[in-house]
Order: sequence, then structure tokens, then C-alpha cells
Amino acid sequence: METIFDCKILIVDDEPELCRMVTDILQREGFRHILSASNCREARQSLSKDRPDCVILDVTLPDGDGFMLLREMRADSSAPVLFLSARDEDQNRLLGLGLGADDYITKPFLPLELILRLKAVLNRTYFPLEQTGPQERIFYLGDTQIDLESGTITRNDGEQITLTAKEFAFIEKLYENTGKIVTIENLCHAAWGDNVYRYENSLMVHIRRLREKIEVDPSAPRYLLTVRGLGYKLVGVTKK
Amino acid sequence: MKSVMRIISRYLVSAVGVALILLAVNFVVFFIYMFQLNSIEQVEYPVSQIAEGLTVQNGAYQLSDTTEKIIEGNYQWAMLLDDAGKVIWSLNLPAEIPQKFTVPEVASFSRWYLDDYPVYVWRRPDGLFVLGGRVDSVWKYNIEYQMVVFDKIFIWIPLVLLINTLLAFAIALVFGLRLYHSLKPLAGGIRDMSEKKAVKLSTKGLLGELAAGINKASAHLVEQDIALDKRDNARTKWIAAISHDIRTPLSLVMGYASELESNAELPTAEREQAGIIRRQSQRIKTLVSDLNLASKLEYDMQPLRLSPVSLPGLVRKISADFLNGMMDERYTIDVEIDENTQDETITGDEELLTRAVSNLITNSMQHNPKGCTIQINLVKEAPFISLSVMDDGIGFAEEQCLNLNQPTEDPDLPYSGLGLTIVRQIVHAHGGKVKFSNRTTGGCEVLLSLPLDMG
Repeated sequence: METIFDCKILIVDDEPELCRMVTDILQREGFRHILSASNCREARQSLSKDRPDCVILDVTLPDGDGFMLLREMRADSSAPVLFLSARDEDQNRLLGLGLGADDYITKPFLPLELILRLKAVLNRTYFPLEQTGPQERIFYLGDTQIDLESGTITRNDGEQITLTAKEFAFIEKLYENTGKIVTIENLCHAAWGDNVYRYENSLMVHIRRLREKIEVDPSAPRYLLTVRGLGYKLVGVTKK
Repeated sequence: MKSVMRIISRYLVSAVGVALILLAVNFVVFFIYMFQLNSIEQVEYPVSQIAEGLTVQNGAYQLSDTTEKIIEGNYQWAMLLDDAGKVIWSLNLPAEIPQKFTVPEVASFSRWYLDDYPVYVWRRPDGLFVLGGRVDSVWKYNIEYQMVVFDKIFIWIPLVLLINTLLAFAIALVFGLRLYHSLKPLAGGIRDMSEKKAVKLSTKGLLGELAAGINKASAHLVEQDIALDKRDNARTKWIAAISHDIRTPLSLVMGYASELESNAELPTAEREQAGIIRRQSQRIKTLVSDLNLASKLEYDMQPLRLSPVSLPGLVRKISADFLNGMMDERYTIDVEIDENTQDETITGDEELLTRAVSNLITNSMQHNPKGCTIQINLVKEAPFISLSVMDDGIGFAEEQCLNLNQPTEDPDLPYSGLGLTIVRQIVHAHGGKVKFSNRTTGGCEVLLSLPLDMG
């Protein structure tokens, strides 16, 4: 298996037209090995014969339910499972995830959503290290280079500054969500593993120091912006 | 049980009151009657006055006409005795009355009766005037009391009253307690009935019929409750089943529409039409899940997964999510979180609370397609935390506001959509209050007050 597109994917759903649609969507995306089953019996056969790398599973099936099938499957397989269910109750979602499913999508769904979640699950399971290449860990804010691999900042005058552990956690979190607001709680969680608000004051101190390192004029920031009442966001990220 | 005790104490007080009032009324009536009788017989025509009606004219006794009338109207006869006890003048004197009396005879009749005629006497200079009343018209008795009794009159009258009061109280208490014991199970039955518990009381005894009535009413209520629960349950399940069944066909509509929309080989017009199908399917999806949630909340079939929730965090997360992707530049969100709310939590279902706030933001966006600024404020007003979501858009219709602020929505007033109904239901499920209004500066305001965690 060289890429996620080589994964063997089994779709279990009692509605043949839905099986066909999901197959179409996945094929168009580039997945090459797609199987389908319309009930528990067929699914069990396919599971033991084809050994799929990932299963997209409906909860309501004519001869049993997906939760039961997942429990059976977990006895001898650790292939990721994605529920695709018409039951939207939170209990069902939690039950599914509690049983060891990797994701739970409720019908109706957008093809793009299914693709993104499936790819995320497959990447996480089979290619955890290749998720982000090393070149993606280096970016620029104006003329300042930030290298998340080494945790260093290189200013345009060649000066190298090292990021502290907290500063690193903040800039990494903000970079992962470039252009988007990251709430105070999320940032605190990234740095302290705790989203309790009492860290806000120290958060502000760390952000100020971070700005001194990355901004040309820390009192008029252009890259690390404050979103009043909510949090911060990183903008103007470029790659070279 | 308190109410029964209250009834009994009222009963005691009124029983004692009745006894005292009766006593007082009796005294008053008795005295008034006595006073009036005496005034008729004695005050208007006292024997002294009648005696003066007899005068000596030309050596013979002469009775005035008025005096004669009075004697004939109110008495029967009259006579005058000289000092020797001899009758020297008389009027209508019955034959059995002797013409001469000895001193012992005079002494005797002057106090009591003369041949059963009640008599009244008056001393005149020429003898004794005797007036005879009709037989059996007057009861005469000489009253004689030890002075000591009258000396203590102000002690014994209140004492008698007090003893009477205590006695009345004791008797009423005995009856009251008996009543209390027979009422107690009935009161318990009524209380149980109001708490929707099945009631089965003993139907023996004085109040058996009442107990039987309560049993019947309770059985009726329980039956009705079961029937209602069953119907609500059936309706909720039915809606849940429909919303489940609609999802698979809707998946196909949405999936293929989305595929067509992104198919680069199709002309732009067709792709735009596919986009409309996709967006409308998403609306149906929202409606279906809103309908399902609303029906579950309405009949308390949505279990709340309670945990401590930080509203500042929740508001920031929702606002950031909206700003990060779910809204375009037509809309902005301003968040103002009061410092005093930062460490506060409420006990709630985080997912439902998120739903409520999101619904309000979505509602503002849907009703203001030209764009608006959404302002979210969070303030602590112990024991509540107040979360208000406002916009500067078109606001609510007045009737819509009225309907949303009622305890239950009126089907005759304009309907505001499931989104706001769900907001209300979620806030109520958390023991909070919600108020829909329009701002004086234009736009709407929805104020949610949720109870704070204490301690």
C-alpha cells in the first residue's frame, strides 16, 4: 500500500442506490478498491475473505445492526470504521464512537464531507508521519521565517531567535488554523492542556512576547491579530 | 396534613365562638324580656299610683275612671282595709274573699297570694290598699341571697364564662380530633392525586363516599395520564421514524446534486441549478432534525447530558466557528463577555446550549439577507447568567414577539419557525427564562437567563 487510494474499502448499506453513489464518489476521488455489502451476512463474508482496510458502515441493517457488526469485527481486525447512519441521536453517535468507530457521519451528507473524513481517518491510520511534510513546517510572515521543525525564528537581518515551549505551542496552533480565529480556550488548551480561562492573563503575556519576535511593529501587529472577545488569528502566511 | 390541621383549628375556634355567642345572646334576650315585662306591669301603673286614684269625696270613697279602667284592664279586683283589718271599700271583690282579715292573714297575703290571686299592697293614711291580680298571671317569689354571693359577682361571672369556654373547647377538640382522623387519609389521597400517584383509600366509615369519589377520580387521572403519555410517545416515535426514513433518500438527492454541482463538464447554468437542489436539500435536512429535536423536547424525551458548562467558552467557540467559515462578509459578530462571568459555570447540556445559541445567530442571518451585525453579550446577574443575542436588522414582527414570549405558543398567532421554538425549549429544559424583543435602535434581541451553578 503506497497511498491511501490503494486501501480496500468496504461499504455496508442496505440501500443499493446509496452503495452505488458512495462507490461513484470514492471512485471519482481516486480510490481503486471498493467493495459493497447490503447486509450483515454479506459483510461478514467480505470481512473474512477480502480483509478490507476500511469499512463504511450503516447502523440499521436488515439482519442486525452496525454496532453489533463492529463489535464482532473488532475481535480480529483493527481496520478503521466510519459510521454512515440515518440515526442522528447523540446517543447513537456516542455509542458508535465508544465502540471504537473512527468517525460517525449522519445522513444526509455532502460527498466532500465523506471524502475529507475518510481521508483523514485513512491518513491517521496508515500514514501518520506523512500527514505534513517537513517543507510545510516552514513558513514566512513577511520577511521573517518561522521553522516549526527547529522551533526557531529567522529575521530578515539574519538574527535567529528561539521560541519558548509556550510560544511554540501558540504559533503552531495558530499556523494550523491560518486565517481562522483560534479561541482563547483553544490556545490555553494547546499550551497548558487545560481550557480553564484563568490562564488568559499569562496567554496575553506570551502573545506579546511572540509579537515582539515575529512582528515588525509589535504594537501594530500585521500577522498575529487580536479578535476582540474571542481570541487570535494568524494572517499573511506565505511560503517560499 | 397542614391544611387538615388548619381546618381543625378553625373548627375549634368557631365551636368555642358559637358557644360564647349563644351564651351572650341568651343573657341579653333574658334581660331585655325581664326588663320589658316589669315596665309594663309595674313601671307604667305601680300600685302606689293606683292607690292614689282612690279618694274620699263627701265622706264616700270615689275611684277615678282612669284608675278603674287600669284595674279592670290589668288586674281583677281592689279593696281597702282599715287599721282593724275590715274591708271598707272594694271593687269587683270575689265572693270567696272574706270581709275582715286578722293580722297574721294580712302578713301572709301581703307577701304571697290571697286565695291564689297575686296581690300588691300599698299603705295609705286611712288603711291598706290591696290590689288583686288575675289568678296564674304572676309568679311571686321572694328572692333572698347571701351578700357574699353579690360581693364575688365579678369573680364568678367571668369564671363561669371561662369554664364554659374551656368545656366548649374540650368538647370541640374531641369531635375535631375524630374528624381529623377521618379526614387525614382523604387529605393524603388528594395530595397523592395531585402528584399523579395512584390512590386507593378505604371506603369504610363516615367519609367512605368521599373516599370512593377520590379513588375514582384518581383512577381516572392515572388512566388519562397513561393515555396521554402513550399518545405523546407515539407521536414522538412517529416523528423520529419519519425523520430517520427521510435521511437515506435525502442523502441520494444531496449527494448527486453536489456531484453535479462540482462536475466541470456541465454548463454553468446546470451546475447552478444543481447547487440550488443541494442547498435546499440541506435545508430539508436541518428542518427534519429540528422537527425531531423539537418533538422530543416538547414531550421530555430528549435526555439532557448534564455537565458543568462554561458559557464564555461556549460563546467564543460558536462565534469563532461562525466567523471561521459559516458566514460571509455580510455578517459580523461582536462578542462582549463580562469579566465577572469568566469563572462561572452552569449545569447544562453543552450540545443543546450550542444549538440554542447557533439557532439565534442563524435566525439573525436568515432574516437579514442584506447583512447585519450580531452582538452577543454575556453578563452575570446572580443567580442567573444572562446571554443576549442582538442584531441591527429588521427585528421581529410584534405579534411574533408576543407569541414567543408566551408560556406555550399560540397556534393562531404567526409561527416563528422551529429554530426559535427549539431555543425556547432548550432554555426551559435548563430551568432558564427567555425573552424575545425588539431593540429601540432597530433589530431584535433575545435574552436567555440561565441559572448559575452555586458554590
